[in-house]
Amino acid sequence: MRNLNRLIFAVVFGSVVSTAFAAENMVNFISPKDGATLDAMAENKVTYEYTVVPPGDHTHLYVDGEQVAVLREARGSHALEAMSPGKHELCIKIVNHAHAPIGFDKCINVTVK
Amino acid sequence: MIDLQNLAYAIDQIVHNFGAVAVTGGALAGTLLDQAEVRRRLAWVVLAGWGSQIASGVLFGLISYSFYHHFPDISGIAQGALMVKVSCAAAGFLLAAAYLRRLIAWSEQWTWRLLLLLAITALSGAAFLRWFS
Repeated sequence: MRNLNRLIFAVVFGSVVSTAFAAENMVNFISPKDGATLDAMAENKVTYEYTVVPPGDHTHLYVDGEQVAVLREARGSHALEAMSPGKHELCIKIVNHAHAPIGFDKCINVTVK
Repeated sequence: MIDLQNLAYAIDQIVHNFGAVAVTGGALAGTLLDQAEVRRRLAWVVLAGWGSQIASGVLFGLISYSFYHHFPDISGIAQGALMVKVSCAAAGFLLAAAYLRRLIAWSEQWTWRLLLLLAITALSGAAFLRWFS
């Protein structure tokens, strides 16, 4: 009986702990930051980090709504193609195995001069 | 607990995979065998194979749409590979149907070779679609 109680305690405690530390979807632009100004003549890079939980699988990077890269590493960087002067939107969207956006994304605006 | 979305993709993938086996194996056998009746049966297998490829391919998109209101988002080489696959599937289906309706004017052997070429091209496209998206 005592062993049974310990087992129940372990299962309940384990569930509580695993729920408390359950990962959530997260996307973060390390650089550039929202509102940053980029040099049109420089090679600009996006540095990012993300955490995905199922059904999320990996992320896609978009510039002005056009997909420019598949980001499979949870943390890394991607060199951007030259962008025309003006305002641009950079987005990272979490997608599932089939590359369908699951509705979680992070977007920032940058100005290229 | 089984995730419904993954189950739907998996079942669709089974149909898609068997379709690929049917179009490739059927066309290869049709190229090697020369009995008319066997070839006609193989043509039905190939037709069904291309039909299931088209249907399961469309279903992949619809499953994504039904869960997220978004179709899969691919670009560049992957998009090109998908176009190649779609073109091969359409051409293979029409060619197999034309063969069965005896609408083909050129040699039977060339029809089977063309069906095999379409199958190999589509399979190759699938590899690029998988690894460039």
